[in-house]
Amino acid sequence: MNTAIPSKGSGGLRALLNQRKSRAVIIQGLFLGALLYTVWFIVSTTAHNLTERNMASGFGFLLQKAGFDISWSILPYDKGTYLQVFFVGIGNTLILSAAGIVATTILGFVVGLARLSRNYIARTLAGIFVEMVRNTPLLLQILFWYIVVFSQLPGPRQSFGVFGLMEFNNRGFYFPAADLTGLVGWLVLAAVLLLIAVLFLWRHDRKRRAQLGRDAVPFRPWRDRALLVLPVVMLAAAAWQAPWDLPRLDGFNFSGGWSVPPSFCAALVALTVNHAAFMAENVRAGVQSVPSGQHEAGFAIGLHPSQRMRRIVIPQALRTIVPPTILTWITLIKNSSLAVAIGYPELISVFMQTSLNQSGRAIEIVVMVMAFYSVVCLAISGGLNLYNRRVQIAER
Amino acid sequence: MDQPSPPRIFTPRSAEAPPEQVVGVQLWLRRNLFYSPGSTVFTLLALTFTAMIVWSFVDWAFVKAVWVADSRKECQLTSPGGACWAAIIEWRKGIVYGRYPVEHLWRVNLTFGCLALWLWPMAVPRLAALRPYVLVTTVLLFPFFALPFLSGGARGLVGQAGFALSLMGLVALWSAALAALWPRSGAGRRAAWVLGEGRRIALPLGFVLAFAISWQLALPHVSTNLWGGLFLTLVIAGVGISAALPGGVLLELARRSQMPLIRYTAIVFIEVFRSVPLITVLFMAVTLMPLFLPVSWQLDKLMQAIIGICLFSSAYMAENVRAGLQALPRGQYEAAEALGLGYWQTMGFIILPQGLRLMIPNIVGAFIDMLRDTTLVSIIGLYDFLLMLRAIGHDHTWLGLYVEPLVFGGLVFFVLCYAMSRASARLERKLSRRWDKGGGA
Amino acid sequence: MTTDTDGKMIDVRDMCKWYGGFHALKHISFTVERGDRVVICGASGSGKSTLLRCLNGIEKHQRGSIRICGITLTDKPADINAILGRVGMVFQDFNLFPHLTVLENCTLALIEVQGLPRAEANELAMVQLSRVRIDDQADKYPGQLSGGQQQRVAIARALCLKPEVMLFDEPTSALDPEMVSEVLDVITDLAADGMTMVVLTHEMGFARQAANRVIYMDGGEIVEEADPDSLFDAPQVDRTRAFLSHILLHD
Repeated sequence: MNTAIPSKGSGGLRALLNQRKSRAVIIQGLFLGALLYTVWFIVSTTAHNLTERNMASGFGFLLQKAGFDISWSILPYDKGTYLQVFFVGIGNTLILSAAGIVATTILGFVVGLARLSRNYIARTLAGIFVEMVRNTPLLLQILFWYIVVFSQLPGPRQSFGVFGLMEFNNRGFYFPAADLTGLVGWLVLAAVLLLIAVLFLWRHDRKRRAQLGRDAVPFRPWRDRALLVLPVVMLAAAAWQAPWDLPRLDGFNFSGGWSVPPSFCAALVALTVNHAAFMAENVRAGVQSVPSGQHEAGFAIGLHPSQRMRRIVIPQALRTIVPPTILTWITLIKNSSLAVAIGYPELISVFMQTSLNQSGRAIEIVVMVMAFYSVVCLAISGGLNLYNRRVQIAER
Repeated sequence: MDQPSPPRIFTPRSAEAPPEQVVGVQLWLRRNLFYSPGSTVFTLLALTFTAMIVWSFVDWAFVKAVWVADSRKECQLTSPGGACWAAIIEWRKGIVYGRYPVEHLWRVNLTFGCLALWLWPMAVPRLAALRPYVLVTTVLLFPFFALPFLSGGARGLVGQAGFALSLMGLVALWSAALAALWPRSGAGRRAAWVLGEGRRIALPLGFVLAFAISWQLALPHVSTNLWGGLFLTLVIAGVGISAALPGGVLLELARRSQMPLIRYTAIVFIEVFRSVPLITVLFMAVTLMPLFLPVSWQLDKLMQAIIGICLFSSAYMAENVRAGLQALPRGQYEAAEALGLGYWQTMGFIILPQGLRLMIPNIVGAFIDMLRDTTLVSIIGLYDFLLMLRAIGHDHTWLGLYVEPLVFGGLVFFVLCYAMSRASARLERKLSRRWDKGGGA
Repeated sequence: MTTDTDGKMIDVRDMCKWYGGFHALKHISFTVERGDRVVICGASGSGKSTLLRCLNGIEKHQRGSIRICGITLTDKPADINAILGRVGMVFQDFNLFPHLTVLENCTLALIEVQGLPRAEANELAMVQLSRVRIDDQADKYPGQLSGGQQQRVAIARALCLKPEVMLFDEPTSALDPEMVSEVLDVITDLAADGMTMVVLTHEMGFARQAANRVIYMDGGEIVEEADPDSLFDAPQVDRTRAFLSHILLHD
């Protein structure tokens, strides 16, 4: 944060200093007075209005039963309390945000690198994509994907099937679910742990090679690949043996398996596409920010292009790419709230709209929702600040 | 240095043409499109794919489109695979003006036309020095100018005074422009007098005159419920940016203050409003303001939404102001202190004018963002451009028509935002060049 | 890969380079023998930097031939790599890798390209770092060093690969005056050790002391070539005289 605003006049006479200090105290005193008066005014008016309209207040309503259903939720819910509704909303918001963050980062890198491609068509198409997406409102894009794409899918009876396992139709996206309790679950867990162990082994090998040289620790690509066989076989066995619950047409609709509603799909695609455009610019700026002298120096000491990328350009580019990327993630979490416009039951929709209408506890609900977003966003940007400080290359 | 022998005269060789393979279309194609098997495959696939998409869009949007029809059914019968632009054309008044009474539309057109009266110096290169003042007066005073035309009806003293001030601001701006462009002509010299020595007479006289004009200006009231469409979107964005600029400046100055109470209040305000989505702020405004304000002070939904947007964008503008002020070299503060200027003098005469000049591209960017953000008011039921477009599909004659309005809306937003961001980029380049040459960092 | 052992370290014959339509280097021909210390001077835009960058393949020439240690510079990666292993380059802007320590800057190529074990690479690097008298800063990051120190690290980085020819692209132009001498001292020591080098510089004092040939370039051509004393005291060509009088006036 910045700096001293110079004070009036020169000197350093104690009288002047005292004058400035006492002035500051007076101003702050007045400010505090105004603030307190405003707060008192609002509180008393609100109290008056609430009693006028016979509205109750207090957080006790959270333990009351909310009388409504929620069309879809990632957490189990069955006409629970308002507090449960709050958590269901949070869950839905977070699952949409998490999926969006992963997809956007991948797509953002792809489009960003396409913008830097040597191929003129790749560059131009990526550029047109970015400009089109950045200059139209996100709400319009969400509506577009929902109305123009996902609602135009055929009904369940004419659903698009994929290998008989997944179904696309205007009621949602259905995919098989597996019951992971019991033996199958343990098998999957073991396979995943083994995979992680193999990855650590590869990393350990790389470090030893850097330490002891190529002759002491030679490359053994076939052995490395062979290590993957066991986990893959285990996963395949698990998939074979697992009791799959496939989506099957049951009357007018599908049942079984897991599903996500079309509003989720549309919101996910819209958020991903929109934020990927901004991320692409981050990636492009980051890679371009690495001075050409770095490429030349890498070339001059004999590094191959892939080595130059991996050891010189990308580490430097990442330092420039990561901070704005994390800001884009935060923006995505905030923008997930726009899914309320297409009926996705995220936090705003179930809590700030439906619950507020049902219970009438406007103040409490607004405070809770804003607190949620504040906490999440401030925590992530706080983490970003820590990262920045740790990763700063020591300056003179 | 004495040379005993005369120097050999050096005759430089003439430049030669490069060998064929260094320039040419064929080389460009080979280098940029077909430089590897992967690239060749990609180029061919991408070209085919793009051509297919572009052709189907052109086919739907133009070749098979229906431009005149009475209902959606008629569109579908005439040309089933084509866009039904007839709906948009039928609804054009609603999309642009909302439900503003037809006989008063001239007021809206006049107001937006008058914007040119304010902004024209921005386009004249010789008046580049006036640009910050143009921007500041437009942002701060134009809303007061526009209010009696758009809304009409009875206005309080504040509104009247504001209108008077805006008229005076306009005259002052024109005087400054005249004096700068034609300093030797009669008009130019009189203009310079008005701004210079004649100030003491011109100011109060002008205010009285302007107030009188304002008093006379009495147009019938048009309730804000009837405002809608593109007009409403521009009003919300315009008021938003008008409030965000002074609000952001005040917030940022508060954040840099030495007085802890003021500083922490500002920090909390800024951090909270930047961490929550705009939609929560809008919902908060719409649900909480009726509770916080006494019944006699109740505001309509548009005012509530605008207040929410103003608070929200002030917090973001504070960040822009911070960046602008940080770009100023410390030497400016030190020079001001050496001259003995106090806090507000330093800020008002030295720091803020320079900072704001640096920030003009950011301000334009903030306006473009605000244009996109105003679409959120459609969620709380204000009939802005987006909601009017969506309403077409609910109309009986055009029931179910959702695609064409969305495509049209996207196109309009794209054209507006893209044009503005291009203009802002050009402005930024010009400004940075001047800055580098001048006495800046 | 053609190897020709007629002893010349650098052999440029009738080399031309174009940037698009602009003829940047016109029919350049010169040779550098083992142990030569060649200084190339000239105004900016004369093409001297372009010429240097053509010698190790950063820029590509379109006509003529460049042979380094007998290997002809072509588009083939094998030739390019062979030449890169024999040529070391020091840039005007140092171009150290800011995310690596001084030691890692030097050992990067040894480990990645030559596959040496880290301990051996570190040893080799420390030898070169002490040669340029900066071994005590081995674990610092470039951002923590002064310009002169960074340039010395850049020289050590190039030396680690045991080049046979060193190319210096205005090594002191980006330095504050008080740091110029520390870098020039290092380069002079290298010359005294017998390193073949081509140096682009405006430092005439250094040229007189360390160089055995000076080339003056203008407009993409070699205008005059002689030993330092002859060229500076008694230039034969009018252009050279004009250029030198400018330099001396503004020194």
